[in-house]
Amino acid sequence: MNMPSRLLAASLLASAALVGVASAETTLRLDETPIGELDPAKATDYADSILMFNVYDTLVIPKQGEAGYQPFLAESWTQDGNSFTFKLRPDVKFQSGNALTADDVVFSFDRMMAIKSGFSFLFDNVEKAEAVDASTVKFTTKFPYAPFVAALVRLPIVDKKLVMEHLGDGEGEMKDWGQGWLNLHTAGSGAYSVVSHDPQAETVMAKNPGYFLGVPAVAPDKVRLRYGLEAATVRTLISRGEHDISSQWLPPEVLKSLSKDGFKLLTESGTAQLYIKLNTAKPPFDDQECRLAIVNAFDYSTGIKMVAVTDTVSQGAPSTGAIPVGGMGADPDAPAFKQDLEAAKAHLAKCKYKPEDMNVELSWIGEVPLEERFALLLQANLNQIGVKSEIKKVPWTLFTEQVTKPENTPNVSQVFVDTMDGDTDTLLYSMYHSSAGGTWMSPEYLKDAEVDSLLDKGRASASEAERSEIYKALDKRLIALAPTIYAQNQRAVFAASDKVSVPALEDPAKAFRVAAFGFTFRLMEMHP
Amino acid sequence: MSPVVRLLIKRIATSFIVLVGVSMLIFTIARVIPGDPARIALGPNASTEAVEALRDKLHLNDAFVVQYGYFIADLARGDLGQSLYSNRPVTADIAAYLPATLELVFFAGTTMILIGVPLGMLAARYRDRPLDHAIRLFTMLGVSAPDFVWAVILMLVFAYFLPVFPIAGRISDSFAVPHVTGFLTIDSLISGDLAAFGNALWHLALPAFALSFAGIGQSARLTRANMVETYRKPFIEMALAFGFPQGRIARRFAFKPSMIPSLTVIGLDLASMLGNAFLVEQIFAWPGLSRYGVAVILRKDLNAIVGTVLIISAMFLIVNIVVDLLVALINPRIRLSQRSS
Repeated sequence: MNMPSRLLAASLLASAALVGVASAETTLRLDETPIGELDPAKATDYADSILMFNVYDTLVIPKQGEAGYQPFLAESWTQDGNSFTFKLRPDVKFQSGNALTADDVVFSFDRMMAIKSGFSFLFDNVEKAEAVDASTVKFTTKFPYAPFVAALVRLPIVDKKLVMEHLGDGEGEMKDWGQGWLNLHTAGSGAYSVVSHDPQAETVMAKNPGYFLGVPAVAPDKVRLRYGLEAATVRTLISRGEHDISSQWLPPEVLKSLSKDGFKLLTESGTAQLYIKLNTAKPPFDDQECRLAIVNAFDYSTGIKMVAVTDTVSQGAPSTGAIPVGGMGADPDAPAFKQDLEAAKAHLAKCKYKPEDMNVELSWIGEVPLEERFALLLQANLNQIGVKSEIKKVPWTLFTEQVTKPENTPNVSQVFVDTMDGDTDTLLYSMYHSSAGGTWMSPEYLKDAEVDSLLDKGRASASEAERSEIYKALDKRLIALAPTIYAQNQRAVFAASDKVSVPALEDPAKAFRVAAFGFTFRLMEMHP
Repeated sequence: MSPVVRLLIKRIATSFIVLVGVSMLIFTIARVIPGDPARIALGPNASTEAVEALRDKLHLNDAFVVQYGYFIADLARGDLGQSLYSNRPVTADIAAYLPATLELVFFAGTTMILIGVPLGMLAARYRDRPLDHAIRLFTMLGVSAPDFVWAVILMLVFAYFLPVFPIAGRISDSFAVPHVTGFLTIDSLISGDLAAFGNALWHLALPAFALSFAGIGQSARLTRANMVETYRKPFIEMALAFGFPQGRIARRFAFKPSMIPSLTVIGLDLASMLGNAFLVEQIFAWPGLSRYGVAVILRKDLNAIVGTVLIISAMFLIVNIVVDLLVALINPRIRLSQRSS
């Protein structure tokens, strides 16, 4: 072969290789617990949230690396007393090709409130939504309600025109509000569209070429979100290079072995906490001294070691109060809780109940085996101060029934709670306001006028700085009242291959303060 | 009327009564499991009013007998209700997940018969010799450990240390098999895609073998015991005396009478795989009905629980009827007893 021919052949090969690289489709494979709920008005779980944040868009999104919210589908918003007015971006189209208008926003709100499922409770204090014009929408709350903007992170906007074409059987003008259709189809404007969906097996998604912000070329072309994989299966799939990101529900031992094999660990923190809740409505924890005794007796550092994955990564981090570290009102300089047996004994001596007469029920949720370890730890700690206790495994369904009456609620319950929309009000109002008792979030049945007053002020104030101060005061009051053991900040840990970068879960400066928002696929990078 | 047809009619009639009994039993049991299905469906933060509204819609506030009446009326129209777990009609869920489980059970059952029965025959033929001891040890292992243990062991050996088999799903992503029956092996053959057929079989290998392991052990042990018993019968001694070759004696004279009791047990094993497949489906991410059944029980999804249990019971009864018919066909004494009754 002569020189020109060789050059020609070489350039052809090089071009072919380049074309091959350029056209290689990247697929991100990850898993979560079933089911994958595709209807955004019914979404509640982590998997649902991942779908919601990628297939649909919202008026605002959480700011990256800091607290607060920024406009997204909205260009801007204004607040005037009880009303919030949003100006919509003019360039957003749904995946169907329909333009996004104020009517779609109003429809999405009305639909969520009519179905009354999922995150609709976040909008219980909203009176109405109305379209001022095609690009302006106004929400009116029942009273000045600052957490409303945060709640909008959980109001995905659906394509009204498309849904109306697919109404199923039902009563009234709106029939089933398109629930039957939206179980398996989507009507969003998100960066990813659904290619196929089986709520028990997997959802396959692909880039939306018409996305209003464009989707970076390095983001995964295709995503396979699998449901209900066993830990052993995930372990094997990742090792074989057939899976990219595990769920956060892998046992620490499996995460540790994957880390040993060279896989990286991604973390999400600042959104949730383990609350060990004390029933203040019945003995012995109707006595504040008894509560302070158990709060001081709990061994916080052992609790964190119990969920350690490696020497540097743990599924728990020290807690400083009722608000997860970094949340609005959390004091960054506050000391972390520590076990203090002397203080525990001193408080116990002041308690009106004698330790020898107590038999504390320590419950744990049957579906969360990790909680059994915390129940055993607390039992050992109570033994150290001479208090007898009894561990009870309670299925979640039974627990949610038990807590509806204070007399049936166990002395001690364990619940992992996340802020859902990143606002401290969403977390604390449902736990500690005296009107909120009787749910899975409030088995404390706390009744305290000062706490109620601070919670009411916190949601009414329009000033971020003022709200922060109010929640700091609330945090101090709650620590003094001790209705709860603030056991540890929860840190979700995921094992991942080097084929993918997830900045929001790898760099705290790029993290979002809303659970699952870090799984925004368009912000990820694939390395084929 | 032929005795076999009479037997068939009798079995169908009793199966119908069993199904009615199962429906009442499971309808009751599903409602006494702790927890409010409406609360679970709507999520922990749903308002009390929303939960009450859903309870009304589901007739959960009505008397038990009234609820059962609604259920039977819907069932008569072929409507098993809506699943609160998947938000789809239960019939749609069953249609989506049942073929995967049936395909898995069919291949596990075939593996069980093709390996278990010949092993039993070999063990009987070489009774008390090293081969017999080796087979008995192997079968003992099969029956002494549950399916999911074998599933994990197979996954470790053939997917982790020696990555030769796939471990999740029914077929690789690169294949798109048109949906006809829901059985990927059949659908791939219908579409003439032999590569997809091979890929589906490749995916079936580990879960089917894991699910069949206990059955292999049981059928081999049973076949061996029955054949050993048959080998003691005078007609076998007579065949030996006539000098027939061992292979011919085993196939022609000993096998058929030995299989009559084995067939019933193999049939029961096959039927029980439908329910037992749960953990194997879970480990191999197999989108089947057993996995769905357990998920709906945990979510107290009343309609789906009743629908799934009814379908699995119906499958169990169908397998039993088929086995009874096969036994009647190969055992003249049953045919005669039907005729005389």
